[in-house]
Order: sequence, then structure tokens, then C-alpha cells
Amino acid sequence: MLTYVVKRLLVAVPTLLAVLTVVFFFVRIAPGDPALIILGDQASQQALAAVRHDLGLDQPLPIQYVDFMSTVLKGDLGTSLVTHRPVWGEVANVLPYTIELTLSALVIGVALGLPLGIAAARHRNRPLDYAARIFSLLGLSFPAFVSAIMLLLAFAIELRWFPVISEARTGDPLSRVSALILPAVNLGLIMVAYVMRVARSSMLGVLGEDYIRTARSKGVPARVVIWRHALGNALIPIVTVVGLYLGVLIGNSVLTEIVFNRPGLGKLIVNSLNQRDYTMLEGLMVIYAFIIVTVNLLTDLTYGLVDPRVRQR
Amino acid sequence: MRYLASMAAGLAGAVLLAATLPADAQKVLNVGMAAADLGSLDPHRTATTPDKAIIGWMFNGLVRFKPGTMNPEAIEPDLAQSWDTSPDQLTWTFHLRKGVQCNNGYGELNADDVVFSLKRASDPKISSFSSDYADVASIEAADPSTVRITFKRRPPSVLGILTNYQGGNIVCKKAVEKLGDDYRTKAVGTGPFAIEEYTPNQSITLVANKSYFRGAPKIDRIVYRYIPSDATRDLAYTSGEIDLIYGRQDQVWVERMKSVPRTVVDVFGPGELSDMNLNITKKPLDDLRVRQAIAYAINRAEIVKFKGALTAREPVSIVPHDYLGTDENAPLYPYDPTKAKQLLAEAGYANGLKISAIQTQLPSMLNTMQVVQAQLKKVGIDLQLDVVDHPTFHAQIRKDLSPIVMYAAARLPVADVYLTQFYHSRSIVGTPTAVTNFSHCSVADQDIDGARQTTDSAKQKALWKEAQDKLVKEVCAVPLYEQLQVWAHRDKLNYGYKLDASLTLGPIINEQSTLQ
Repeated sequence: MLTYVVKRLLVAVPTLLAVLTVVFFFVRIAPGDPALIILGDQASQQALAAVRHDLGLDQPLPIQYVDFMSTVLKGDLGTSLVTHRPVWGEVANVLPYTIELTLSALVIGVALGLPLGIAAARHRNRPLDYAARIFSLLGLSFPAFVSAIMLLLAFAIELRWFPVISEARTGDPLSRVSALILPAVNLGLIMVAYVMRVARSSMLGVLGEDYIRTARSKGVPARVVIWRHALGNALIPIVTVVGLYLGVLIGNSVLTEIVFNRPGLGKLIVNSLNQRDYTMLEGLMVIYAFIIVTVNLLTDLTYGLVDPRVRQR
Repeated sequence: MRYLASMAAGLAGAVLLAATLPADAQKVLNVGMAAADLGSLDPHRTATTPDKAIIGWMFNGLVRFKPGTMNPEAIEPDLAQSWDTSPDQLTWTFHLRKGVQCNNGYGELNADDVVFSLKRASDPKISSFSSDYADVASIEAADPSTVRITFKRRPPSVLGILTNYQGGNIVCKKAVEKLGDDYRTKAVGTGPFAIEEYTPNQSITLVANKSYFRGAPKIDRIVYRYIPSDATRDLAYTSGEIDLIYGRQDQVWVERMKSVPRTVVDVFGPGELSDMNLNITKKPLDDLRVRQAIAYAINRAEIVKFKGALTAREPVSIVPHDYLGTDENAPLYPYDPTKAKQLLAEAGYANGLKISAIQTQLPSMLNTMQVVQAQLKKVGIDLQLDVVDHPTFHAQIRKDLSPIVMYAAARLPVADVYLTQFYHSRSIVGTPTAVTNFSHCSVADQDIDGARQTTDSAKQKALWKEAQDKLVKEVCAVPLYEQLQVWAHRDKLNYGYKLDASLTLGPIINEQSTLQ
């Protein structure tokens, strides 16, 4: 198992280097001048040139690339072109918000999606199944920003249970939780839809297996058949989906953060893109890539936990 | 673990808490701005609307536009309580108010601060507005409360460039030197409000300057929240979380907000003039007849109708309304599609022609160009729009890649500024002194320069009129419409003055403003 983990980690290194290279060149190929964005449209050519020089943007691209890679390989993501603060610091300010949002959404997704999927499979082609499938279809069809607006209209405007602006007050954990609930539900509903669909189809496949029929014919109670015998084997595709869609969740968190005006990596990345803050964008991409690689690794390791055959291989 | 514990503890009471938060005893004004984050609070560096609005609450100039107005002929004292001019009007001596304090404990403002600030605003390596001060020969402190400014040539509006606008905002020397790069987020001025806290990507909190020289503000704090999503900003206003909101510049928004109870919608100047600049050096636009055909094909009334008469108005010239020197009767080409077709035929394009333009995806600008596209189509001109994101648009038009450039701008309300930046040969894009002359026109150089040199106000205005007439006739640009500024606020907020115009593009909140 240890060899497996080490191998996976080693594979992650060239993946991250490739991501770094691609991101470096992509953000610089994109037209747009950070100096112009910093100084505004009335700035003189001299002022623009001075800012470009300060930012190192007047250097040839290969030199910028070597500088960038040598800085990153030392564990330093550089300094934001716009704020002049370390990228790590900027990311550290907002990362907890994105982590708590995506993990909350994940918990909601699994806690609701799994039982719903199992129930739908057990009651195949009956009203409960249809209702769950319709719910799932709606969850998949609604873009995150539309469902976010609907949640705000219902719970922030009509019922006034939550604030529109999901901004926590410093030193007030209650306001932090209050600010988290609606965004987490919005993001979680998408996850519920994904998990429910996969859980249903996976369970349907397993419930048709001979060993399940045998267990039933032996008089094993339905509850035990489902939760002990069927679920264990149905879990692998579910774990895969949860792992895969954690990446999707992080992507969807961009829209959720913007609509709920919540700090986070997504909002930071959109802002950096608009400001052509190259170093910040590169740093964020590295972090995103690292998160995705880590999640994939954890997903693979979880296979070993739920399926002994993977461990033996 | 402590974090998890606090989260768990919070969960139980979260819903109730959100519904029953006690009202803040202080007078706190919550503002919602359409931006993701601060650009910079350094008044000599930033030119974006979200930054300008807040800077207007933190700084003073030597002189100022009376709050709610933008008339350069009615400028009044600010940090300077009086001034004298030499007979040739090349030397101006300003006598400063005594006892004005820099915010955040940086001491009393004196002539050294003013000299430092104006020299900084003139430095092209630091300032975005250095070209406004190109005529300055020297700035010196005659004594701790007297500043003397000498000009090589008299600028068209000396007081204009010394107002509380862009480079004219006075920064405190010690703060700039001490804070270095951090000045961007911790800027220090002498205004009615001072920076208290900046939370990246979220908000800026300003606190009242209780020792403000015009009197302590009646509002204790301003929380300036960055809310980029239009829908969220509107909902936050509806829910009462913000009191003053940056509006959408469209008729539907204004009409909807007018129906919200206890809400006042502010529509005010300056109008940002949208011009369609035509590059006269590129085919087929190098043919005057083609440019005239485009001018005749544009129906400005239809564009204003499309944008909404509550928030847009027809332009009168290629310089916006109400600027010092605007020709209110410039000979703009009337809408005449028949004449346009005739001119195209004469130019050899009887079967129509195709022109391309790089266009920003910013909705308010893109939809205008789509109307223009439809209007040109009617006379046989196929305008192809290459739509790109806004930063790309700005970068590409400055590389002279687009033969047609639609540009919207408001500037210091003196005709010279607009004429110089957009139509003087010094400002042609791609040159070392480039600003925003996308048309490559230079027909009015002599008039623009002549108006700068004369001290006779009537002659100056006549030269500016002449310049505008020439530029209009040459069709260096086709004015499309003027977009007014749109904000809304709760009626419990009283600005303390009548808001007709604001060069910061947002309402001025000062010591007169109250919040009930």
C-alpha cells in the first residue's frame, strides 16, 4: 500500500509541473495588460512602462518562465502583481472559506444523496423513485447561480432567515455559520443530485446480483440485505463520483461565491483573471491542481478501504 | 478543533441569530459597489469608478468642486483658503488653511505635503494623471502655509487640475513615505473619512474623521462592500443590508428601484460620452465620404431610446455636455440613411462594405454597438464585431488593432482635456506620448494648443468651438450617446446637498451627510 501511495505521489510531481508550464504560458498569451489595468486608461506610456518594468513584464518570456519556475520550486508562489502581497498569504486568507463550503456541500450531498439513491433503487419505478429522479434532474439542470438566486429570494428576502451577503463578522463564529448555510445548501443540492443518481443505478445493479437473491431467499431482512450486503459492493462507483465531483464542486463554488458574495478561491480567481494578475492566477492554478491531484489520490486510497480486492492488488 | 467546536456551537443558534441581530448603535452607512475588490486607494494611481467613489470621501484638494456640482467656473476653496495670481497668470500662490490634520495620526498638513503631493501627481513614473500637469514648471513651499506653483504655459484650467479630483487630491507625505506599497490599501488624506480596515475581496471600512476641518461627520462609519453580482447587490439592498447602491445604468433598473419603498434613485452627471472613433488612416475609413456615410447612418435618438431616456441623453458634440468649452451647437451629422447610401455609392461602395471592430463584452457597451451594427446594416455597411473581454479590448485598441473604437469616458470637465486626450496628435495610440487618440486625427491641433496658451476666456472658448467643429466635420468620431450615473439610496440617507453631478461618479458623503 505504501509503495502504491509513493508511486501516486511521484506521478503527481510531473503533473503539477506540466500544469505550471501550461498555466504560465496561457495567462501570458491571453491579451490584456496588467499595467494598464493597474494605472487606468489615462496613464502615460512612461508610467505604463515603469509599472511593466517593476513587475518584470518587460523581460523576455523564457526569462520570466525560468524566474517563475525557480520561485515556485522553492515553495514560493510569488507576489501578487496587483496587491504586492504574497500569493500564499492571499490564498491563506480565503482558502478556509472555500474548504468549509465544499466540505459542507459534500456532507450534504452524501448525507442526502446516498439514502435517496438507495430508497429510489429499492422502490424502482414507484412514486418515490420518480420523485427522486425528478429532483435529481432538477438539481443537475439548474445552474448554480440560478438556484443561488432562488434560495436568496426565498430565505433571505421572503423569510429573512439568512443574510444576502454571506460575509462573516470577525470573531463571530455564529455569523460564520449563518453565512455558510445557504451557499452550502446551494452547492450541496448539486452534489445530492449526482450522488443520488449514481447510488441508485449502482444499487440497482447490485440488487440484481445472485448473492442478493440468495440472501433474500434465505430470509435475511431487507434492511440487512441493503445496508450490509448490497451497499458495500455499490460503494465503489459512488466513491468515484464523490471524488470526481469534488473537483466539480470546487468549480461550481466560483459561481456560488460570487452570487452569495462570499470570500473564497473562486472569487479570487475571477478577480485575478479580470485584473490580469498573472502571479496570482498561476498560484491559484497550482493550488487547484494540487487539490485535484490530492482528491484523486484520496479517492484511490478509499477504494482500498471499501474493496479489499484493491488492497490485495 | 477549536474551530470545529465554534462552528458546531454556532450552528445551533445560527438561524435565530441571523434574524435577530441587534441594530448597530452607531450610524453606519453600508454601500454596495459593483466590483470584486479594491484596485487602489492611491488617488494618483487609480482611475476606476469603484475606487474613485471612495477616494472622494477620503481626500481634499487645494480647491474643490462644490459638492453635487461639476462646474469649473464655480470652484471653491478647500485646503487652500485663498489664492493670488501673477498678472501673466503663470504663477499661482495658494494660502493654506491652518490646523488641517492628516488622518490616522500623521500630523498637521503643511505646504511640504502639498508640494510633495502635486509633484507626485506630476511624476509620470508614479501618477496616472501626469499629463494634466505637463505645463507645471515648479512647485515650491514659500512658507509652511503657502504654496507657489509656476507654469511654463498656462493650463486651460489651473484650478481644475488642483481640485479634489484625480491628481489634485492631496496626499500626506509622511504617510506615503512610511507606508510604501501599503499606501494602496491604507491611503491617508485629510478628508471627512479615514481608512479603518480593508478586507480583501470583501469590504473597506472608513471611520469618521472627528477632527475634520469642516466639522465632524454625522455618519460614524462607512462600510464599502464589494458585490460584483448585480443580482446579489440588488437583493442585498432589498433586504436592507445596504443603504446606498451603485446602480445599473439602464432604464429598467431605474424604474424598478423607483418602485422600491423609501428609496431615492439618483441619476446625475457627468454624462460619460460614448464616441465611435474612426481611424482615418485605415481603409476604407481614410475616405471622408465613408466616414460621413457612417455619421449619417447613426440614429442617436434611437440609441437613447434603446438605452432609456431616464439614464441616457443625446450628445451635443464630441465633447460631453456641460464641460467648460463644450460647443452646445456642434454641427453633428443628422440621421439621413439616404444621404449615407449616396455617399457610399460615391465612394465606390454602392454594393455595401464590410468593416470590423474589436468590441468589449461589457454588456452596456456591447449592446450599444449592436444597435449601431443594425443601423449601419440598413445603409449597407456590415460591421463585424470581434467581441473580447474588457482587459483584452483595452490592450488591443491601444495597439491600434481596431479601425473603429467605441469608447466611453468622463474627464475633468474642461473641453481641453477631452480634446487633447482623444483628438490631439500627441495622444495618438502607438506613439510614445499616446493617450486615447484612436482616430489619428490632428486637424484641430492648432486650435487646441491655441486655447491652452490664451488667457482670454472668450477667445479660449472660441478656439475650442472651432476645434470641435473641425473634428465633427472631419468625422474623427461619431458621438453616440451620453450615459448618466445611476445610484440609489434609502431615504434615511441625506447627502446634505443637491446632487446634480459628481466627478467621482458617486455621491459625495461628507460632514453634511446624515443617516437617520
